Amino acid sequence: MDLNNNPYNILGVATNASTEEIKTAYRNAARRFHPDVNPNNPGAIAQFQEITAAYEILIDSGQREKLNQTLAKKNEDDKYQFTLQITPSRKIIETLPESQVIYMLAEARPDSRARHLKEEKETRLNLTLVLDHSNSMSGTRLDKVKIAAHQIIDQLDENDIISVVIFNDRAETIIPATPVNDKASLKAKISIMQASGATAIYSGLSNGVEQNRQYAGPKLVNHIILLTDGNTYGDEEASLELAREVAAEGISISAMGLGQEWNDQFLDELASITGGTCTYINSANAVVRFLNDSVRNLVNAFADRLRISIATDPDIELESAFKLSPHPQPLSIENGYIPLGNLQHDRKVSVLFQLQLPPNIPEGTYSIARLQMSGDILANHNHNFQAISDIQLGVQKDPPPEEPPMPILDALGKLTLYRMQESAKEALATGNIQEATRRLENLASRLLAMGEEDLATQALEEARRVAHTLNLSEKGSKILKFQTRLLLDSSNEDHNS
Amino acid sequence: MKICPHCGTENREGVYFCEACARALEENIEDRTRTVKLQGNSTEMSGKATWGTARFGSEAAIIIHIRDAAEPLVLHPAVRTVLGRADTTSKQQPDLDLTPFGALEKGVSRIHAAIERSEDTLTIVDMGSVNGTHLNGQRLIPEQPRVLRDGDEIRFGKLVTHIYFK
Repeated sequence: MDLNNNPYNILGVATNASTEEIKTAYRNAARRFHPDVNPNNPGAIAQFQEITAAYEILIDSGQREKLNQTLAKKNEDDKYQFTLQITPSRKIIETLPESQVIYMLAEARPDSRARHLKEEKETRLNLTLVLDHSNSMSGTRLDKVKIAAHQIIDQLDENDIISVVIFNDRAETIIPATPVNDKASLKAKISIMQASGATAIYSGLSNGVEQNRQYAGPKLVNHIILLTDGNTYGDEEASLELAREVAAEGISISAMGLGQEWNDQFLDELASITGGTCTYINSANAVVRFLNDSVRNLVNAFADRLRISIATDPDIELESAFKLSPHPQPLSIENGYIPLGNLQHDRKVSVLFQLQLPPNIPEGTYSIARLQMSGDILANHNHNFQAISDIQLGVQKDPPPEEPPMPILDALGKLTLYRMQESAKEALATGNIQEATRRLENLASRLLAMGEEDLATQALEEARRVAHTLNLSEKGSKILKFQTRLLLDSSNEDHNS
Repeated sequence: MKICPHCGTENREGVYFCEACARALEENIEDRTRTVKLQGNSTEMSGKATWGTARFGSEAAIIIHIRDAAEPLVLHPAVRTVLGRADTTSKQQPDLDLTPFGALEKGVSRIHAAIERSEDTLTIVDMGSVNGTHLNGQRLIPEQPRVLRDGDEIRFGKLVTHIYFK
């Protein structure tokens, strides 16, 4: 039996629960998770299967006894864990004849005993660099990319695997996947890169995937870094399809866009499908730092392939999910599972969910949702470790006043700014110039009130540009998008350590 | 449902920041999340609290600045001025109606407080309002008058005002 799936936790009962309690817990869970009520949520269906398996073990006294013995032994290995903590915006809501919104902050942290492991253990990395060497990369940009790639090779050792693919309108594998032994010759291969041709991302990406797959496995951090400075034409869909495929295999992709002429919406989606990140690099000089930082984060991973699934009551609607830390970005909720990338030793992963509750909930206490975070713990090769949390909500006619938790308010205050620039772009896309201008001006005044003067100036400049030219500048649009996200980052440092 | 006091958009219950204009829907949330980055030399800001005069001459008027209102109100106070929210169904009506300033959403009672005038001072007294009257952040005990000074902040429920003597 897989020890991570502790049947007691899955069913939400105490280890000394009576058979009657176990049966009640199962009936309650079935009401919520049964595939009949969740036809379009694979995450919930998978959760239900686990619940059923857990139930079958716990009602069989022989199996339950055996389980108790194994669990006692397992406690020794407990330091290689992460915990999941959920904070709702309100614990008790008022019963109202209208829909209401509730937010939930989910935070995963490595067990405090795992923090010292940072020094003693080495995470093995299976890294693929997919580098754009189209004509527009010539000069400083390509030079900086070479420097960064050299430094990355210096960061790695013979336990790590590297491969390098370069692409313009076609792709070439200049370093096939290999352990990092002969650093000098690896670097030499990178040095001979030259700029020419146009940008076609799919061919580069698919070559990179092919290389990464040669060593990809659950014991490693399997990661592809795609660096480009150009728009790709006509192969976006194929690239996204490939990203979905590799995400299921446990490979993640980070995208780095250099300069102004790349499609941020496409690369954002490409990365977030796999739990990776999308970064905007404003100047060639910053390339070295961004690439090195991202590799350092991979090397420091405590757990990888982190993902969260949320199963709600059928009449509760999940409206959005946003990763607050590390690297704030919107998350796709299409699928029941939301990939979140890796968990660092000293940094939490936090996600903010927005849910809509139905009108006229009768008074009482309800279990409204279950969140389940899973991931591969790298230190002891503990695959698919899981942490589960059930969310309780009270509903009353006249609830006592409640102060919303500060971390949620703080995040929402900043998230609203990110959403404001998104909604300005939406208004612009539908041709509503007046609305787009108004939203950008609003954004500017909110940013100014927060003391973000440079960003406020940028927003105001873009508001003026929209009013006159009916469009945003490529640069301004990217700055507003990525910088408003970064506002969330500073507010989310973990001070618990 | 919550109506945004800044832009009038309807937001669902449980939402804290207006989905249309991004501003906080309640003032205490705006206060709690205000994280102003200090620019330049922050030591300049360590000024002492200053007290305005309590003296209120016979010809003087009160200027009432209501937060988010375009124009301040000018009041030549009578012996007793009752502040609140006019409501056709109740018998007693306030002398100064705060309805145009979002009194209903901000929890101002129909009969909320009174400004009383004596020799050469003004006092404020809370008349048992539901959400209270705060003078410079301190909640008043109902029916206990307090002296007003130039520049004071008075909060009726969540409606914030500043008063100045002229």
